[in-house]
Amino acid sequence: MANKRSKLNRGQALTGYLFLMPVFGFYALFFLIPLLFSLYLSFTEWGGFDLSLIKWVGLDNYRELFREGSPFLNPIIKNTFVFAFGTVLLSFFIALAVSYMITRLKYEGFWRTLYFLPTVTTIVAIGNVWLYLYNPTNGVINEVLRKLGLQTVRFLDDPSTALASIIVVGGWLGIGSSVLILSAGLKAIPEDYNEAAMLEGAGLWALYSKITLPLLKPSILFVLITSFIGGLQSFTLSLVMTKNGGPGNSTNVGGLEMYNQAFNYGNWGTASAMAFVLFVIIFAVTLLQLAVFRRGGVESY
Amino acid sequence: MKPRRFPWFSYTVIVLGGFLMVFPFLDMLASSFKGPADYNRMHYAFLPEQFLLDNYGTAFEKLKLGLLFRNSIIKSVATTVLVLLTSSLAGYALTKLRFRGRQLTFRFILATMMFPGFLFLIPNFYIMVHFPLVGGNDLFGEGGDGGMAQYRLALILPFAVSAFGIFLMRQFILTINDAYIEAARIDGASELRIFFQLILPMTVPALATLAIFEFIGSWNEFIWSLLMYTVNTELATLPVGIQQLKSHLDASMTQPLVNAAMVISTVPILLVFIFLQKYYIRGLTNTGLKE
Repeated sequence: MANKRSKLNRGQALTGYLFLMPVFGFYALFFLIPLLFSLYLSFTEWGGFDLSLIKWVGLDNYRELFREGSPFLNPIIKNTFVFAFGTVLLSFFIALAVSYMITRLKYEGFWRTLYFLPTVTTIVAIGNVWLYLYNPTNGVINEVLRKLGLQTVRFLDDPSTALASIIVVGGWLGIGSSVLILSAGLKAIPEDYNEAAMLEGAGLWALYSKITLPLLKPSILFVLITSFIGGLQSFTLSLVMTKNGGPGNSTNVGGLEMYNQAFNYGNWGTASAMAFVLFVIIFAVTLLQLAVFRRGGVESY
Repeated sequence: MKPRRFPWFSYTVIVLGGFLMVFPFLDMLASSFKGPADYNRMHYAFLPEQFLLDNYGTAFEKLKLGLLFRNSIIKSVATTVLVLLTSSLAGYALTKLRFRGRQLTFRFILATMMFPGFLFLIPNFYIMVHFPLVGGNDLFGEGGDGGMAQYRLALILPFAVSAFGIFLMRQFILTINDAYIEAARIDGASELRIFFQLILPMTVPALATLAIFEFIGSWNEFIWSLLMYTVNTELATLPVGIQQLKSHLDASMTQPLVNAAMVISTVPILLVFIFLQKYYIRGLTNTGLKE
């Protein structure tokens, strides 16, 4: 009997490993090896083609990134944070209001779908459509501004407005998924709570601030944290709308600079160092926020 | 006691906001019917002066939309099928099979989610192009022309396993009662049979959610496909093809064309979403938060 039992277990274990083979293979090939390879590359100077031309330069790439006056720190990393903060603030407050309103309207599903459309559209289409909306001569936004008697704004061509313009698109893009999570959270709040408070004569604002918001806190934290981390990583929108983060470096973000350093300028060593610096920053932010997450009463996976 | 009066304020805000969400799409649609002269007028007009369908025909020829569609569909379908298979296999093994290192494996898979995708662009690009013994490469990955990037597999392989997918399937399979599996084992069913004939049919709701998620994500994915396109232009997917047309030709002449192509490429995926959003939304709201 004992023998049969252990045979069974061995069979189970073998099946377990067999079922996980694709996953192990995948993570070896597309996770561990690449991670070590790019960590190594970050200490080298390399154009990306001939492995025999790799030159070990120690910490030079990192020193270069952190030297005084380095464009990577200012404005690129700064832009990365401004972009993440901006898109999160914009999409969060709009989503908070929208989710609160649509849960009390008819055809909730329809409204939610409207707000979610940009999320399921390729970023290439989003970026190009907004390029046209922002167009100084025949874009709709400037047409409206002119009708209102205001001056033409050269949104993406003007360094002082370019980043804000992209943040607006990023925020617009992020509303849908935040609405989804917040409205799911809202619906989980038992109706009795509100009814009881209303019987006690509480006003709408008191209801919202004393009952809804505190009970929604886990969803709120989840939305804030995931979209902030997403914002720090994102660079496709900037790539589609500005190509190289221009004008100047005004819209350049970390991921985009890394991408261009590697695939346009052939500085694979520098690019790898940038990738790791960004990764460490994002990792630190994630850990910090996970700590807040736990204290906020949300169990994370 | 729920406030029953007609919420005018909420309706006004939601409708106006909804308009702002949809307007860019309507503008894309409207301008896809404009001719170049119409499009390049000095002032904005929402509606075209005359509705031209030419852009759609030209887009199909100039953009090689046939090829782009084929690539996008093959990439999205193959990625989805692979992710469903690898996620459910792993999800089952991680919950219902006992073996050494199970918990560690699961922790590792979760930990990989902390690593942002851009970290892997550079090394994975090199690995793909210098894949040993593929596309004319020798054992050391040298000498070939494009390596794996000669094949569509290059668009698919780096997405064949998804940590999110494994997590989703694991959470779902956890809820399946062990008694079913024990009973099947006592009846002498092999582990493979148990998985394919007993477990897999029970996980259909989770598989549906994951499938929609992966398909939409894969259809819209841009950066990796763009990198593979730089090695082999035959691998262009819809987003890549549209972006390339835009950057190579005179933008002022081709923008209506690009708009037509964007309409063609976004409409299928929007329809997929609108009809199957139930599953998509379930995936997004149920996994992130544990109540």
